[in-house]
Amino acid sequence: MHLPRIRYGRRLSYSDYIYNFFATLSGLTVFNIEFFKQAFKPPFEVAEIRKHMDELGVKTFGIVSITGFIIGLVLAMQSQPVMVRFGAGDSLPGMVSLSVVRELGPVITALIFAGRVSSGIGAELGSMRVTEQIDAMEVSAINPFKYLVVTRVIATTMILPILAIYAIIIAILGGYIAIVITEPMSFEYYRTAVVKSIAFGDFIPGVAKTFVFGYIVGLVGSYKGYTAEGGTEGVGRASTTSVVLSSLLILIFDMILVKITLWLWPTLG
Amino acid sequence: MVMADSRVVEVNKLSKSFDGHVVLNGITLNVTRAENLVVFGQSGTGKSVLLKCIIGLMIPDNGKIFINGQDISLLKINELNRIRKNIGFLFQGAALYDSMSVHDNLAFPLKRHFPERSNEEIENKIKHTLELVSLEDAINKMPSELSGGMKKRIGLARSIITDPELMLYDEPTTGLDPITSKEISVLILNLQKKLNMTSIVVTHDLICAEIIADRAIFLREANIAFEGNIEKLINSNDPFLKNFFSHEVISQENK
Repeated sequence: MHLPRIRYGRRLSYSDYIYNFFATLSGLTVFNIEFFKQAFKPPFEVAEIRKHMDELGVKTFGIVSITGFIIGLVLAMQSQPVMVRFGAGDSLPGMVSLSVVRELGPVITALIFAGRVSSGIGAELGSMRVTEQIDAMEVSAINPFKYLVVTRVIATTMILPILAIYAIIIAILGGYIAIVITEPMSFEYYRTAVVKSIAFGDFIPGVAKTFVFGYIVGLVGSYKGYTAEGGTEGVGRASTTSVVLSSLLILIFDMILVKITLWLWPTLG
Repeated sequence: MVMADSRVVEVNKLSKSFDGHVVLNGITLNVTRAENLVVFGQSGTGKSVLLKCIIGLMIPDNGKIFINGQDISLLKINELNRIRKNIGFLFQGAALYDSMSVHDNLAFPLKRHFPERSNEEIENKIKHTLELVSLEDAINKMPSELSGGMKKRIGLARSIITDPELMLYDEPTTGLDPITSKEISVLILNLQKKLNMTSIVVTHDLICAEIIADRAIFLREANIAFEGNIEKLINSNDPFLKNFFSHEVISQENK
């Protein structure tokens, strides 16, 4: 696997920035192809995937819970006066749940996940790269890409949808609390209104895209860490650029996936 | 005369440059079975690059490298890995896996290369290898809990645990105090004798070289400037070698 080198330095010219843009793009493409080449070949390193799912996923539950709750709460608090003004106060549970299921839940969870996990993977693999641990693995005839990258990418791809579903549930609960603070509403009424307003077709595309977001987080973090160079400065750079690039790609792919979803299922619009 | 079949490593006209800076320029050398070759040279003269080319971590610009008669540039990754299983590599910083304990660091290559071995056999092998480097007590420690010398020993244990035929050492004693560095050097020599390994040792450390070396080469300006036994190098009249191996210049300046 040949990955183009990124040019680093304090005085980069415009041509260097353009070169780095295309080098990153081609590096990610090569990394992507390599992932699919390696992912279906044994050994499958199931224990390692499980370990990463635990480390990367379970430990993100806390922050996802807080974020999910606040999103639901703030969304309901902000929307309530407007909805009431237009005489659509009854539609508030449906509006909150649809916004959270279709867009806010998956995307905000993915962005939080990128901040927490992509930077972690970038820093960990970056530090392994600069301290020659990845080289040590390679000279021991063990495939470092398979062991370090494939396992992490599979783990992030599998764990993010679970986190997103969890965040959606918490956000909807947050929405209920925001409503109930200002006006009395039974939980049963809220639950029925939520379930009525969400169709299966709303839920599936929202959750399905989190598989893509999870894949992006794992792949970008691994790519940045795997190609880190330049000592501790390189590790820091790998960590930061992982978050920036994966967040950006999440938003770009969100736009593309929403367009595809609407094209495939026009009734959702 | 060296018999061709006793050559473990053959490097033929090896060249490597980085961004136009030539680091190795047509290096040719052979290492025979059970021989300890020491590679000297100033910092940045391509000693580590030479080792990394031999193990296949770096691809030479020109030239060939043969390991046990096989040209490694022609090998696919699976075939290269088959050869790598017979090679141990001790990195300058030991390169222990931070997230694994000493036990897991040692078990990692063993479990993957010998899946047929039982857990008991693997545990015995780990114990035995740790005894060889006198660090049986460190089995459950994490790399962050080890001193520099201990890390080197564990790195050495991990490299030899698969019983390699060829060992490559990248500055095994750099950054260690004189006593620990002597201990590591003696350990390398004893292991080589005990396991009948061939070794290439990159070092700046004269004492380490005196203990280990059967033969030494000196890299200078991208070429092998001198080759021979260690005494020949130390007693050479060449001003550059004198400068490298003695305190003469420093003492003159101090006067």
